Amino acid sequence: MIVNKRVQSSAAAAVSIFMFLLIWHLATRFSELGNILPSPIEVLTAFFVGFVVPVGTHTMFVHIVWSLSRVIPFYILGSAVGIVLGITMGWYPKAEAVFRPIFEIIRPIPPLAWIPISIVWFGIGEGSKWFLIFLAAFITVTMNVYTGAKVVDPVIVRCARMLGANERQIFTTIVLPSSVPFIFAGLQVGLSSSWATVVAAEMIRSSEGVGWIIISSLDVNDTVQTLIGIVGIGTVGYVLAIIIRGIESKLCKWNKRGI
Amino acid sequence: MQVEQERHIKTAVKCEGISKTFETKRGKTYVIEEVSLEVIENEFVVLFGPGQCGKTTLLNILAGLIPPTKGMVVVNGKPVISPGPERGFVFQSVSLFPWLTVMGNVEYGPKVRGIDKETRQKKAQYYIDLVGLKGFENAYPNQLSGGMKQRVGIARAYCNEPVVMFLDEPFGALDAQTRYLMQEELIRIWETEKRTVLFVTNNIEEAVYLADRIILLTNSPVRIKKEFVIDLPRPRDYTSEDFLLLRNTITKMMDKTL
Repeated sequence: MIVNKRVQSSAAAAVSIFMFLLIWHLATRFSELGNILPSPIEVLTAFFVGFVVPVGTHTMFVHIVWSLSRVIPFYILGSAVGIVLGITMGWYPKAEAVFRPIFEIIRPIPPLAWIPISIVWFGIGEGSKWFLIFLAAFITVTMNVYTGAKVVDPVIVRCARMLGANERQIFTTIVLPSSVPFIFAGLQVGLSSSWATVVAAEMIRSSEGVGWIIISSLDVNDTVQTLIGIVGIGTVGYVLAIIIRGIESKLCKWNKRGI
Repeated sequence: MQVEQERHIKTAVKCEGISKTFETKRGKTYVIEEVSLEVIENEFVVLFGPGQCGKTTLLNILAGLIPPTKGMVVVNGKPVISPGPERGFVFQSVSLFPWLTVMGNVEYGPKVRGIDKETRQKKAQYYIDLVGLKGFENAYPNQLSGGMKQRVGIARAYCNEPVVMFLDEPFGALDAQTRYLMQEELIRIWETEKRTVLFVTNNIEEAVYLADRIILLTNSPVRIKKEFVIDLPRPRDYTSEDFLLLRNTITKMMDKTL
């Protein structure tokens, strides 16, 4: 039954993507849109060709690996700091009183607004890119985890106290596990946010990466190149989201939300 | 003979002059006023009263979850000042730990108290079997029905081997059929593993079916209105003449105003 359902939903996804490509194709073929937008066949061909023939100085695969190598370590670091800060702020009122006001001011600032200052602080090399990616992950993860630790069911906490748990055990055996779904929600949003920030980060200055493909397409005025960059970002982002969801459903069997 | 007598009337829970007030703009409001009671070991006492009269607050005070404004609670000779494992609590809103399996929930108490894995799992298994959940050890709470969840709640409280069990309307959210079944089950479990029980309900039928003694409470503030010793033999019949007579007598005495 479950396998059936999975096949069904994959089939639905395939049909939906195919229909989208078909409409795109027909629109570029039979309307004025064709003058400003290449057809999907052209784009996808260029995308796959890009894995063999270099786009700029590298192949597609190398570009993707470059971007991932920037995103993943600093996404992990930003998330780790976010989880620690979020859970501390959500559970301990004193930490909340100290950090929440500062965090509330930093939170609404989009990562892009940090570009000039990140260049001043970390130079025009890799440092400023890492900083932006870190920030994107850190802000979303902190916010979600904070909410999670804030909404721990007080009856469950009382229950654990009644069963003999001390304060430290309340934190490790109740607050932490009940925040796990929120941690994953944060990791999910944080990942899209840091992966999206890679474009901005690679705008600063770079000679490789999927963000670079898009930025440099402006210089050569090549819409196909812009679109293969977009396809690259979309596909990799999608795969990353699936991986996170897979980990979540392994770790959160008790929680139906992730499925 | 003398020793035997003393052992039989050992006091498990004793409270004297318990009051709980809340400060409001118009002054002090009494939720509980001067409640004194004594429960002997292995007695099944039902605190019975109308609607939202503050029974839960009283039970929370007796269990040590909230402090009284005045008065003192003594359980097993020791004053109650905070929550503690010698008092088991079953909440109305089941409140199982959703990330733990049935086994994980039941062994939680002994686990946080530092009892080794083998001992605590053996004990947990015993209580899982006792409440009739054999075969569900590895199920998660969201895979269980309401009645089964309450069984886990009871097993979890039991597994800590408390001196007193506090049950706060544990069957309030169940459908009528499951509720009857659970009442029957609770008596079966209690008769196998005797404990002192303080049970809160607003259902008179449930009260008469379960109790050794019913303490009728007044509507806010909570005071003790009258006590009834129920000496009907178990298992009780909801429709027997004696049962219905008791049910009517107590209902008539209950505060009708809300």
